[in-house]
Amino acid sequence: MIRALIVDDERNAREELEAMLQETGAVEIVGSCANAIEAIKMINRERPEVLFLDIQMPLVNGFELLSMIDDDIMPHVVFVSAYDDYALKAFEEKTLDYLLKPVEPARLEKTLEKLSSRLHSGSQPAYDTSELRQIPCVCANRIKLIDASQLIFARSDLSGIHLVTPQGEYFTELTLKTLETRTPLIRCHKQFLINIAQIDEITLLDNGVAEIKTLAGHLVPVSRRYLKNLKETLGL
Amino acid sequence: MSLILALLQQMSVFLVIGYLFSKSPAFRPLTGETLRTRHKIFLYFIFSAFSIMGTYFGLPVQGAIANTRAIGAVLAGIIGGPLLGTAVGFTGGLHRYTLGGFTAFSCGVSTTTEGLIGGLVHLYILRKGRPEQIFSPPIAFAATFFAEMMQMLIILLLSRPFSDAVHLVQAIALPMMLANSAGAALFMSIMRDQKSMYDKFGAIFSARALKVAERTLGLLTKGLTPQSAKQIAGIIHEETGVGAVSITDHERILAYVGLGADHHREGQPIASDLTIRAIRENKVIYADGVHEFFTCAISPQCPLGSALVVPLRVDGDVVGTIKLYEPKNKLFLNLNRTLGEGIAALFSDQLLRSRYEEQKNLLIQSELKLLQAQVNPHFLFNALNTIIAIIRKDAGQARELLLHLSNFFRKNLKRSGDFSTLEEELDHVGSYLKIEKARFEDRLEVEMTIDPGLLKLRLPTFTLQPIIENAIKHGISGMLGKGIVKIVARVHEQGACIDIEDNAGTYCDQLHGGGLGMNIVDRRIKNLYGERYGVQVSCKPHEATLITILLPFQGGTIS
Repeated sequence: MIRALIVDDERNAREELEAMLQETGAVEIVGSCANAIEAIKMINRERPEVLFLDIQMPLVNGFELLSMIDDDIMPHVVFVSAYDDYALKAFEEKTLDYLLKPVEPARLEKTLEKLSSRLHSGSQPAYDTSELRQIPCVCANRIKLIDASQLIFARSDLSGIHLVTPQGEYFTELTLKTLETRTPLIRCHKQFLINIAQIDEITLLDNGVAEIKTLAGHLVPVSRRYLKNLKETLGL
Repeated sequence: MSLILALLQQMSVFLVIGYLFSKSPAFRPLTGETLRTRHKIFLYFIFSAFSIMGTYFGLPVQGAIANTRAIGAVLAGIIGGPLLGTAVGFTGGLHRYTLGGFTAFSCGVSTTTEGLIGGLVHLYILRKGRPEQIFSPPIAFAATFFAEMMQMLIILLLSRPFSDAVHLVQAIALPMMLANSAGAALFMSIMRDQKSMYDKFGAIFSARALKVAERTLGLLTKGLTPQSAKQIAGIIHEETGVGAVSITDHERILAYVGLGADHHREGQPIASDLTIRAIRENKVIYADGVHEFFTCAISPQCPLGSALVVPLRVDGDVVGTIKLYEPKNKLFLNLNRTLGEGIAALFSDQLLRSRYEEQKNLLIQSELKLLQAQVNPHFLFNALNTIIAIIRKDAGQARELLLHLSNFFRKNLKRSGDFSTLEEELDHVGSYLKIEKARFEDRLEVEMTIDPGLLKLRLPTFTLQPIIENAIKHGISGMLGKGIVKIVARVHEQGACIDIEDNAGTYCDQLHGGGLGMNIVDRRIKNLYGERYGVQVSCKPHEATLITILLPFQGGTIS
């Protein structure tokens, strides 16, 4: 059974695809999400093997969603869209396949065959994911897009990942690893990323650790492991 | 006393010649507002001739000549200025000098002086800013009277023996002063009348040209058609009074009005050599009926003898001709010739404009077609996908949605007409919204508030659809939360208002670029009803986009 996740903002479209995939008997649906935030959470938790991804979605579209997924858990991607004139061309070779809505069962079979053989050969999907300009954050009952250049630092704790900006703190489903690779933030601690443009001063402490004071006055720890890396980045 | 009568008598002969002059083409230069050097030289000869004639018609009195020589010199001065006056005076004076007598020299000097006096009066009138007084008879009278007084004075001063001079002046002063002044005044009055007749003639001509322009204005907005040509030919025929008027395109007679209409039939191919030449050579052809004749190619009994053929041009290409005819027994008036050419120029401009309008409309039409075609695939596939999903759960609803989809497309296809009622537009949009509602479910809510009095409002077809589609495609569909589209039709003091509001507020960035659909809707309305009407956009980022369509409205229907 192939473990699949469906992402589409229209409920009817999701249900139809769920039904069709189930009819094939070859797929186990691990989830069905209406937006990017839900999808990232689900991907991080369920690690699906394949993503059936709608392109046109509110706030964060299908392409943008891809750049929010960690490389090491990147599933194979099948785009599903009603727009055959979309900028799919660029992604055509990178993605496993793309399907046009309404989806024909025979066409879907072919996609699954292709998928099976890929999974069998164990090839890792690698998509040319672009730099993240905006990071979707959950705040109360809406989603806010935070400009990546606005970040001061990011930290993780038991409740999840928090982004600190001059406007306040936001919760995001993206992992530190994704943020580290796709934004200008650099790692300074196992649980912290820092925007070096926001550093005011670095105090070296005992035991080879350090502490960063940001321009806004936040204190961010630097672990021994990442101090060297930080110094190199700063040209020290 | 007898001298006065005699002088008046010779002055009458003089006036007859003056009258004939005023009727001759030689008078023409005087009808213009300003005199050119060429005209002045011409007038020099004319007035010099008058002056010399005045001497010849004179009566010998006591070894001198009682004469009307002054009239030519003074009038030349008043009309043409000091230089012309002095020149004419000098010429007349020189001529008098050659005739001899004891006043020969003084008369020569005095005539030159009189011309100069006339010229000074000319300058004086101009300086006062009353150029219309140049042709005033009282001023001519006063100026000549004064000039004659000066002449008498000069005779007394220069002629010797002095006693003879005194004697002479006593005899001729009064008769000459009166006769010359009256002659100058009458002569001026003849010229003034003739000039004002020319002015009136010009005014009639202008009025006629303006009337043709006014009556035909807008007739050619739909281009050169048999209908518009017929109306225009009728108007030209009426206003110019020529024998017949015909309008052709580059192959056929579109309209024919007047004499010979029995055999010059509308719809016939062009038969006349003149017309074919006018079209081929792209120039005005004039057969005046004197040197060149118009010969009817169709019927030998045709009463027409002269013709003017003026090509109608659009962008330099001949698209047709206007022809004016006169019968064989009538002269083709120069006036009508000028008028005909002017009218053709006017129509050429109108045709150019109509072609421009036509192309503009074509462009809008084709853009609209493109828009209609462009909308459909995206909408169609998403709609079908939704319906396919619904079939599994609720066959009844799926059936209903398919009927809406079919209604939407049928209306889309059928809507080739230019106008629909608001009711029809709302029905079309209603089907569209039903399908989108099924697709977006709770994420789309539609609120409609329609003034029932506006249901019969006529508006350009496909006005609402692109704007409502914009609100959903670029607004609501990008929202995570609930999207609300409000459609309000209301009567406003400036007309009928249709508001389409969404709560996405995503249109702000595009405000200046403007969506293609919205631009076309706006331009079509402005094209049809004027700049006051059309589409207005206001946007609050992330809160609302409000599109307002303003249309003319009076009591329920719009023509």
